[in-house]
Parts: sequence; C-alpha cells; structure tokens
Amino acid sequence: MKNQEHTKATRYGMAIDLDKCTGCGVCVIACASENNVPVMYDESDKTRNISWMQVYILTNGSQFPHTKVIYIPRPCMQCDNPPCVPVCPATATRKDPNTGIVSQIYARCVGCRYCMAACPYHARDFNWFDPHFPEGTDRYLSPEVSPRTRGVVEKCTFCHHRLMRARTRAYREGRRDLREDEYIPACAQACPAKAITFGDLNNPGHTVSRLIKSPYVFRLLGRLGTEPKVYYISSEDWVRRMADNYLPGEFKGRG
Amino acid sequence: MDLALIPNGAQRCSLKRFLPWMLVWSLVVAWGLVSAFLCFYKGLNQTNMNHYFAFGLWIVFDLSLIALGAGTFFTGFLTHIMGKDELKAIMNPAVVIGFICYSAAIAVLVVDIGQPLRGWFIFWHANVHSMLTEVSFCITAYLGVLTIEYLALIFSNRKLNEIREFTIFGNNLQHMMAFFAAAGTFLSFFHQGSLGGMFGVLFARPFAFREGFLIWPWTFFLFILSSIAAGPSFTLLCVWITQRVTGKELVKRKVFDMLGKISGWLLGSYMILKILDTISWAYGVVPRAGLSFRDFYEGPYGIWLMIAEIGIFGIIPAIILISPRLRKKNGLLIIGALMNIIGIVLNRFAFTIQTLTIPVMPFDAFMSYFPTWQEWGIALSAVGYGILLFSLSYRYLPLFPQEAELNPVKVLGKAVTDSGLVQKR
Amino acid sequence: MEFRRRNFIKFAVGGLGGTLLSPLPWKLIDDIAIWTQNWPWVSVPARGRFSTTNTVCTLCPGACGIEVGKVGSRAVKIEGRDDYPVNWGGICPLGMAGLQILYNEGIRWKAPMKGIGPRGSKEWKEISWAEAIHELATRIKRLRDRGEPEKLAAIDGNQSRSTMAVLIKRLLDAVGSPNYLSMPTQEDTHAMATFLMQGTKGPVAFDLENSDFVLSFGCGLLDGWGAPGRMLGVWREWAKDSSRNRAYLVQIEPRASNTASKADQWLAPLPGTEAALALGIAHVIIKEELYKKEFIEDHTFGFTNWFGANGVEHEGFSGIVLEKYAPQRVEDITGIKTSVIIEVARQFALARAPIALAGRGKGMLPGSLYEFMAVHALNALVGRVNKEGGVLVTNDIPLAQWSDLAYDPVAIGGLKKERVDRAGTPRYPFTKSLIHKFTEAIHESPRSPVDTLLICSANPAYTIPDSQRFIEAMAKVPCIVSFSPFMDETSLMADLILPDHTHLEKMVDIVWPTGIQYPLYALSRPVVGPLYRTRHSGDVIISLAKRIGGPVAGSFQWTCFEEALKERVRGLYDSGKGKTSYSESEPVWRGLATEVRLSSAYSSFKSMWEDLKENGCWYMPSHAFGKWSDAFQTPSKKFEFFSTNIEGALKAHSKGKSFDDALLHLGISSKGDEVYLPHYEEIRSRADEREYPLVLIPIELINLASGWIANSPFLQKTLFDHQLKRDDLFVEVNPKTASKYGLEEGSKVALRSPQGELKVRVHLFDGAMPDVIFIPFGLGHTAYDRYLRGRGVNPNEIIDQIEDPLGGHPVWWNTRVKMIKI
Repeated sequence: MKNQEHTKATRYGMAIDLDKCTGCGVCVIACASENNVPVMYDESDKTRNISWMQVYILTNGSQFPHTKVIYIPRPCMQCDNPPCVPVCPATATRKDPNTGIVSQIYARCVGCRYCMAACPYHARDFNWFDPHFPEGTDRYLSPEVSPRTRGVVEKCTFCHHRLMRARTRAYREGRRDLREDEYIPACAQACPAKAITFGDLNNPGHTVSRLIKSPYVFRLLGRLGTEPKVYYISSEDWVRRMADNYLPGEFKGRG
Repeated sequence: MDLALIPNGAQRCSLKRFLPWMLVWSLVVAWGLVSAFLCFYKGLNQTNMNHYFAFGLWIVFDLSLIALGAGTFFTGFLTHIMGKDELKAIMNPAVVIGFICYSAAIAVLVVDIGQPLRGWFIFWHANVHSMLTEVSFCITAYLGVLTIEYLALIFSNRKLNEIREFTIFGNNLQHMMAFFAAAGTFLSFFHQGSLGGMFGVLFARPFAFREGFLIWPWTFFLFILSSIAAGPSFTLLCVWITQRVTGKELVKRKVFDMLGKISGWLLGSYMILKILDTISWAYGVVPRAGLSFRDFYEGPYGIWLMIAEIGIFGIIPAIILISPRLRKKNGLLIIGALMNIIGIVLNRFAFTIQTLTIPVMPFDAFMSYFPTWQEWGIALSAVGYGILLFSLSYRYLPLFPQEAELNPVKVLGKAVTDSGLVQKR
Repeated sequence: MEFRRRNFIKFAVGGLGGTLLSPLPWKLIDDIAIWTQNWPWVSVPARGRFSTTNTVCTLCPGACGIEVGKVGSRAVKIEGRDDYPVNWGGICPLGMAGLQILYNEGIRWKAPMKGIGPRGSKEWKEISWAEAIHELATRIKRLRDRGEPEKLAAIDGNQSRSTMAVLIKRLLDAVGSPNYLSMPTQEDTHAMATFLMQGTKGPVAFDLENSDFVLSFGCGLLDGWGAPGRMLGVWREWAKDSSRNRAYLVQIEPRASNTASKADQWLAPLPGTEAALALGIAHVIIKEELYKKEFIEDHTFGFTNWFGANGVEHEGFSGIVLEKYAPQRVEDITGIKTSVIIEVARQFALARAPIALAGRGKGMLPGSLYEFMAVHALNALVGRVNKEGGVLVTNDIPLAQWSDLAYDPVAIGGLKKERVDRAGTPRYPFTKSLIHKFTEAIHESPRSPVDTLLICSANPAYTIPDSQRFIEAMAKVPCIVSFSPFMDETSLMADLILPDHTHLEKMVDIVWPTGIQYPLYALSRPVVGPLYRTRHSGDVIISLAKRIGGPVAGSFQWTCFEEALKERVRGLYDSGKGKTSYSESEPVWRGLATEVRLSSAYSSFKSMWEDLKENGCWYMPSHAFGKWSDAFQTPSKKFEFFSTNIEGALKAHSKGKSFDDALLHLGISSKGDEVYLPHYEEIRSRADEREYPLVLIPIELINLASGWIANSPFLQKTLFDHQLKRDDLFVEVNPKTASKYGLEEGSKVALRSPQGELKVRVHLFDGAMPDVIFIPFGLGHTAYDRYLRGRGVNPNEIIDQIEDPLGGHPVWWNTRVKMIKI
C-alpha cells in the first residue's frame, strides 16, 4: 500500500537536449529575472556571482578545423538522493516527498555552507554580498519569490512558486492534478530552441518521461548515487564521455 | 603589584615584563577583532572564500583546534578514569588548552557562518541527520564541561580561593572530576568522530567519501584516534614551550615521556589504520566514482601532500615517539610531537580543502584560493587569544602541581638556578 | 570589604541566573534572528495585482512577440509569445533582459538636457521640453533662413522601413536636407545585391523553415543572425527530429562558432575568401551540369555568352566561372580541399530545397557586395529564387503613403545639393548611406559641412568601425542633438539631449522583421507609463516640425506620432489582406504555398487597429511563387548574372575618365565582363603583412549586445570567464598561434593595428583559425554605468577600414594586427 502511494507521487524532472541547446544564455536570464537573482557589479567572477542556472561550455578537444563546442546548462539537479539535504544542520533545505523538489528556506539558513561542500555540481550559491540590483532595477523584482539576504545559500527551486501558482489555479478550478504544460520552470519555458523539457518523470504521459528513455540520455556524475532528476541528451559520444568520469576503456560509445 | 594573585610558592616575572608580552598578543587579537567586525558588518565577501571554497582557512583551523584540543579529554580520561596518576601533573594545563581550543573554535565558527545572529537555529531547528548538528551540540556541551573545569581552576586562584563559596565550589568540582572526565570523554568521542563523519558522508565528494564500514566506525575512529594521538603531543608541546618561555621546569621529565609514548603508540596505530583506509579508498570509492587515484593528486595539491601527511609527518613521528631510545632525547621528543601535530593538521587540511578543490564534474575548473588578511587575522587571533589566556592562567593559577617541588624558592639575592625570564629580571 | 565583595558576587551570580531564567534574553535572541530575516536594506518587492500585457520587442529589427508580466504598474518579467508568428515562443537573451534596459536608472536620460560648459565635460542642465524643442527649431529655422538646409543631417538607427525612420527622413526632406543617413547593416548589402541581380527593392526573405540544405557563408544563424527569436525557432524545427527530414546545415566561417559547432559540416576558408568558395561551388555545379536548366534558360540573363546591342560578345557567368574558379584554384585561395568543394557542391545542387546565405555574424554590419552576389548566384544556379525553401522575392507591405510633402524653394534648393557622404552619387551608385564617408567628409573640409546633426536610435561613436575617427569628426560639428534614451557614447558628445522612451514605454513599429519570408508588420505598445520626463521621439519630431513652421509644419499635420503611424497602417486595412492573429498550430511557413488568404475579419479600420494593438502584428501568410514579373524587375526582366545596373553605373562613373580609372576609383580590381558578374575580389589591407602578420576578426555573440542597445548586466551573467574577467576582455587565439608567441591561457597582450592598440587577454581556443584573432564586439564602453563602462575593449577602435569595392561600405573583418606579449 505504502509502495503504491510512493510510485504515484510526482517526481518533477527535466531533460535537456544538448543537441538542440545553442548556448544562447536565455535560460540563465529567464531564471535570474524570474527569481529575483541579484546582479553583481562583477558578474565575471563566476566563483562568487549568483546564477541558479549556470551554463558550462565543453570543447571536443579536436584541433582546428574539427573543433566543436557544446553547452551544458546546469540548473540544480534536484537529486532524488540529494547530498545537500541530510547535511544541513538547521533543516533549511529539504526534498519535498510529493514533488521531489529540493527546497531552500532562506530565512532559516545560517550560512554554514556545508551543503555547498556536499554538492558536486556547484548548484548552490552563497550570498557573499548583500544582494545587489543595478540602480532602479529593484523595480522589476517579483513578489512571488522571496528575496534573499547576504550570508545565506540559495539555489534553483524548479521555480517552485510557479508550481504553487498552477496548483492554486487548479484548486480553484476543482482539479487535483496539473496538466503537463501548466507548471514549467522559467528556463524551460524561455528556451528558444526548446532544448529543455520539463514534467513528471513518474507520469508516462509526460514527454519528459519518454525522453529520458532515449539511448543518448545521461546524467551528470550518474555514478555517485545522487540520482539527479535533470537528464541530458546528446547524440555525440564525446559529450557523454566528458560528462562523467570513466575508467580507461570503460566508456562505450553509441557511434 | 599583582603579587597577591600569584600562586603560593611560585615565582613569576614582573608585570613590566608580563604586560609587553601580553600587549603583543593583544595586538594579534585586535587584528582578529577588526577582521571579525568587517566580516559581521560587510559580510563574508571580506574573505577569499567562494562557491568553490565554501570552507577555507577557518574550517581548517577549527578542525585542527578541535583535534589538538583532544588532549584534554584524553588526559582526563587517562587520569581520572584509567587512574594514570602521573598525568595529574599536566591535567590543569590540559584543561586550559582544551578550553582555549574549543572556545576559539566556536568563536571562529561564529564568524565563519553567514548568519551568526541566527546560528542558534542549528539547535532550534536541528537536523538530526546532519553530522554538523551532532558536532555543534557536542562541542557546545563539551565547551560547557570545559568551562566548569576551567572555573574550578580559576577558583583555585589564591585570592579567589579566599572566598568560601568558591572554595566549596572548587572542592566539590574536584570531587566530581571523574564525572566531568567521563562526560568529556563521551562528548569528545562523538564530536571528534563526527568531524570525520562530516566529510566522510559527502557521498558526492569522492575524495572524502567512505562507504559502509569504512565510514562507521572506521572514519569515526580514525578521527578520534588521530585527535587523541595529536592531543597529548600538543599538550606536551605547550607545556614544553611554557617551560622554555618561563625558563622553569614545571613538569617532570617522565610525564613528557609518558605523553610522548601515548602519542606515539596512538599515532602508530592510527597510521596503520589510515594506510589501510587509504588503500581501500583507492580501490573502492575511487574507481566506483570513475576516477583514478591520480586524479586526486594533480595540480597544487599533488601527491606530495599525501606523502607529507602519512609518510613524513605520520610514520616518522610515530617511530620517534614509540621508540623509548629516541624519545629519551629531548630534541627528538619535541620534534616528534611537533611533526605529529603537523601531520594531523595536514590531514584536516586535506579533508577540508582537497575535498572541495578536486573538481568532481570532469569539465569543471580547478580553482585556487588564498586567504585574505581578514581570514588570517581571525585565524591567528585564535592563536593570540590562546597565548593570552594561557599566560594569564599560568601567571595567576596553580597550573603545575609539581612546580613548587621542582622550583624551590631561593633565598632573596641569590640567583635562580634555572635560566629564563625570572633570572634575567 | 570582603563582605561587600561577597555580596557583589552573590548579586552578580543571582542576577545572571535570574536574567537567564526570565524571557528577556531569549526574546531578544529571537528578535535579533527575526531582524536578520528582514534586513531593511534588502529590497522587498511590493505586492500588487498580477497581469500580463502583450507587445513586441523592438530592441532589434527582429520583432519578437513578448508578454510582459506585471505586478501593479511594475513590469516584472518578459516572456516570449507562442501566439506570435515570428518567434515561436522564444526570445533572445537581450530581449529577455529587457527590463534592465527599462529600469536601469544608471544608463538613462531622465529629462531633456542641455550641455553646459565645453563639450565632453559631461556637464548638463535639465531643461523643459518646450525649451528643448524651441532651441532646436530655432537652429533649423536659422539654417533654412540662410539657405543652408542641407546642413541639417540625421543619423538614424531605426529600421529603414519603420514609421520612425520614414518620419525622420520626412523631416529632413521637408527642411530640405539630403543628408539623412541610416546606420549601416547587413541588410544594406543584401538589398544592393538583390537590386543588382533581381532589380527588386523589397526586403530580402529566406524561407529557411522549408529548406533542407542550408549553405551559410558566415551567417551566425544560431548566434543572433536575422530575427534571433525566429532563427532559434527555425533551429528547433531543423533539429526537431534527428532522423527524418532534418535540414543539413553547412557553416562556412573561420571559427568554431555555435552555428559551426551545431552545423552538420563546418568549412573554414581563409577570411574574406568566401566569394571564391561560392564560385568554386558554382564551378562544380556548372561543370557537372547540376544546375536547374529550365530556370537558367527562362529566367536568367548572362549565364552563357551573349551579344550586346553593339554586337560585342560578352562572356557569360558560366564561362568565367569554369575558366577561373576550378576547385583546385579555389583550394589555393580558400584553403578548402578540392574534394570538399566538389562534395558540398553536389550535395547542395542535389538537395530538395537548398538555400545559400550570405552574411556575417549577427548581421549588424554590412557585408561585401560581390561576395553576396556570388552567394546569391548559387541560389539562382539551383533555381532557388522565389521557390519554397529558397530566397523569396518580395514586394513591400501595403502601408499607406503619407500625403506628399510640401516643398518650398529652400527645401528644393537644399535637396539638390550632393549628399555629404556621396552615397547614391556615381561614386557610390547603389549605396543608401555611408557613415564613414560622412565622417571623412567632415574631416576633410575645413568647416564642417554639417551644422546640426540629429542622432536617433544609434550610437555610432561606439558601433561603427574606426569609431575613434567618427568621434574626432564630431568635434567639428557645431551642434549634435541626441534622441537617445541612454547615456551612450554618442549622446555624451551631444549638446542637446531629447531623450526618447525605452522600448517598453512606447508604441513603434517594425516593418518586415529581418529575413522573415512573408510580409509582417509589427507594432509595439507601451507596457508601462513613461518612468521619467522622456518623450516619444516621433512626437518630438512632429512638434519640432510644427515649431519650425511654414511648409515644414504643413507636412506634419498629425497631432502625435500614433496618428501618423495609424495613417500608414490604414493601408494594411485597405489592402483587404492579411490577418492579425496567430495560432502556434498553424505556422505561417507551412502554408506559404497555399492560396492567398484574404481576411475579411475586420468590420472597420477601428476594429482592425484594436486587434493590431492587442496582438502586435499584421501579416500576410502567403507568397505568390509563380509571379516572375514581380521577382525580376531588372532591365532584362530576368535574374541577372550580368548586372546591367552595374554596367549603367560604370558608364556613368567613367564619364570623362578612362574606364580603368573608373574601376580603380570604385576599388574594383578585376577587368572585363567579370566586373558586372559575381566574382571574387581580394580585399587587401593597406597594412604591411610583415609588420602586421595576424588578422583580427571581430565576432558577434548572441549573448553580448553590440549594437545601439548596450549589453545589460543580466547578459554579463551569461558570459564565460574566458570571455570577460573583471575588466579584461579575452580574444580567442589558436593554441598553435599562441605558442608561437609564447602565450598561455590568460596571457596579456597588446593588439596593434595601424589604427591603434587594444590591451586584451588571450583565451586559447582550438576552434579559432591559426593566425587569426577573434575579438567579441559589445564591450569596452566608455559611457553607460559602471556595469559597462571600462569593461573590456571595443574592437571598433582599431579596425582598419578598407572600402568594399563598388558598395563602398567599410570592410571590418580584415584588420591586420600584430600581437605583443605584455
């Protein structure tokens, strides 16, 4: 009985098609503007700026003119087995058993950064500074997302407020379940190449649960047991090869 | 001027000498206080820590302080529970050292967290699954124990002792020392082990991660073992430094020998377990993460770090301290203790920094980090604070029960036999 | 004393215990924690009613439909609309960051300003709008009174067909000045090439969605080229299914750009040899008879040898190409292997719906005319002109014309004067405007031929090649008037600033977004009220004309810009065609071949106008494929390989001098009939190759705005730290080149061209062609706020301008530099 209930729970996840991703950066900006992410004066300091969605660039290592680049957009992996959650001493982060989303309670975070030490994806950002917005731009801040203060850790929430919004609407309409397109994070909605597909991994009717069955699917650091719910798709062997650690001779390409 | 406060039968240098000495270390502490103020006022951007180096110099310092402070509980354990009466000679300084280490560690931690004003959420909203929660609870509780033990010492000050209530309080505490020692041992066992567990459970950080048996009880005991190996060495070193600075023999040589021997044997057994641990890690966790041993020792934190930690500052001091012949030589004993301490600090450094530095995602960058003056300020002020408190304790409290016996007060006008501060007066 | 001390200690201990037992300290601790959760200096967004407003992003001529989320009166989020025909629900990073352009106080002019003190002193006085308009009107009136109306000039960055551009041009016409300059873009070169080969003047349209083989000569299709929202949608369509019917993309450029990396095949010819490669491909197609014979025979002119009216035999395109562009020779020029040329040519010719595209990067700057013609010749060879999936020949949108201008004698006199930049004269017969020649003319004459310069929606002091030269010329212009809403480089040189609204505060139109294959009229509307004391430039122009008075005022009868715009839009209604709504399920490109669908949905113009404002677009989702008379309006009524227009222009230009001199003058190095045909012109830098051994090519990135609209802080988030680190800009250098200079990742170097020097750092990139240095456009501002100012360097400062033969636009991708390690 208990098991049955468990399989029915929603597990929101994402499939990012790297064959489609052109690295344009719209997801980063959509995320930042949706979630009141501060903008530092020196955004080139990637070790200190705040970007819930971070884009990595990979080069295939071949010489000119056989070089290729691809991009890996990296939101929070929303791990099924999140390394960050059990370590938080103040219970400021937890995984919602009903959605699989890993949340962060900014008002409770004491800023010990143990979760950042635990996360190998650098998906968590610490506010080294007071959140800053260029003069006048605090006027575009959204009341749907709580502002953060200096000294706390923040991260991608799969735009949790959008889920709340969709749920409220569904509730008003007397529905319990959400349609596939009713709740989509800002990055997935904004991607002009539609490289990001979002949905319930447990729902066979959702596109994302079909996509993650592709033979070209991989997850970042899949072997560490974090069980990320963000899947990547790339038909290029070298991309999949470079996305995880393999022992010599271990990686088998698919041509 | 402060003669009334100086323990009976002990000679201390004049205030004129004492105050400049205190001033120097006060300046170091002031540096730290300025740094701490900046960190509170402006935020942790005052450090060079970043998303890659979520932990930096301070956590290395904290871990080291707590490991080195382990001498206290372990000496207490040996003295009061195992009945090693010889160690009573250093029980008091051990308490002071422990108090210094733990209080400094907590103070540094308060600066290190981003929201110190709500640091108590760790207790209020405690997450029982977090190693850090366990560590926080235990070190706070243990600091309480140390505070009481230290209070008992303070009340033994000549002047304070004149107050009846304090005397009674102190005496009662003396009777309860075994209880406190037991409580200290219990708490220390937990948090020393959990400090290792803190890193050992980071299953997505292959450098630190240990699985199954290798985390519990293995890693826990490795940390406990390494701390109780280093703790006595640190106590030994502190007492020895005090002797050098004051120019007095404060503790009998055989106590040093005993501390060295304990350290040595513990270090030796730790080294064996640590090597086994490293081998099983290299053949277990590492390949399962798809990595090779070499991947962890590239860049600035090369294989030299492991050689230094286990070889030079591990096996060598263990041999020195275990061998009765070698540790008989004063110089070697001290070098052995010092190397032991360095080895353990290196171990804590590796667990903190290397764990975070080794890029786990294969396309991730290797970042480097060097602390700012604010970070150094706070770290070094912990040292300054320790020296200040120890100096005060030494001056005004009867820390060394053997002092009077070893330094009979000479007739006025006659030169004091041993060299040092007093003689140069 | 002991008693007292004991008491004191008792008191202290008791007091401490008591306090700890009381709620006081605990409450205090809790209150302090609550305070940390509500720090007063942390912005807390105000609540309000949520709503959305549809509009169109007009930051570039791409015209993406956007939906702006609002809370109360504040705009809080921009999203792409999927119920808009252009952009498939997506938008580009700049559009996404649009709210930072609106709200960033540090970059905006908040009221009309008058410069006080010497120019460049950055001292300003706020003035009223009435004062501002009066001052400018007086100045223009004075010019007209003196009979020198041509001394008024305008540099306009508005899209050339837009109502704003037409209005500004109209002002200059009415005043009597021919000196209306539009900012150069790649569309200028496309327009010239299409005019020379097809005789049409409509926008150039590429039916990319329906193509199955795209041969892109340097267009950054996925790097912001064309309408970026649309292009990323096209990419989505191409990449939709990796197994079936996927379009095959061949990218031709010297760097592994995003487009090159995503392409199925990447060819990297030596920079500037693209035309030779195109002709090499043409050679194979002709030699192997893979061209569409019917189309060539029925609809082209000059393919084979022909006899002129005087009986002289002219060489045809096929003959010259066969003779001169054999793949082996092309390999020598371009560095692309013969076998590759042959293979690509065959694939291209045999594809179902191939298309060849000329262009560079995002298409912000003009290209090379003969190169564009050579590439377009490929489309003709395979019969892809006016075909589904090919280059569509279009006529303009049926916007109504405004009533004729009332010219007075002063205006007529002024308009007869030669343009300062000499565009459109026999020297530059086909070119609309040439801003660098404008600059030169000011430099060369002792007194500036321009007295009052209006600058609208443009930042030439930053965006044009050799920008320093422009800045120096501006010092001689007595009065510069900027309409910019932003504190950009150009407006900081102005004497009078009449700040416009930003894109989300105003109604403007975009007439036929770049590259779209069907007529589309995009209309934006204000999403938020004006934040500051700014005014719509359209309204300002109308007030200005009224203030100038006389016949000038008579040509501007409208009360406001919206009225003027509405008058044009009426033509759409009167055409009886098109629609204003769109559904994602019926993409326009899929129905292009079907019958023209007329719309009778609107009962009145008013109802259509309301629909247009709400939906932001009018478009005609069909194309008349068979109408060749529309497609070819050349003297020969055919697609001209041999351009009779060039022939005519050369005749005119060689009057009174030898033909060879005329060629030399126009910068053409070839001889004979080749001059009139698409051919390869080697464009050589004047700099000594031994002294300056490397080539500097500026690159355009989709996430780094490099045009009039400056990069916004959000976009800075998306740059890698090997592109910008603190204030250092990185250039891409091949590791082999770097090792020759002893450079490592991050090394600091100076790049020196004859024009100047830039200090940058080096990013080693295998995807960069050896001996070529790639530097991004878009950083190195000297104006704006501290987020932009002084960060990185502006390549325009050291670009060595070489004039493109015939067209005359500056060539910006062939600057020779030397690299010095510092």
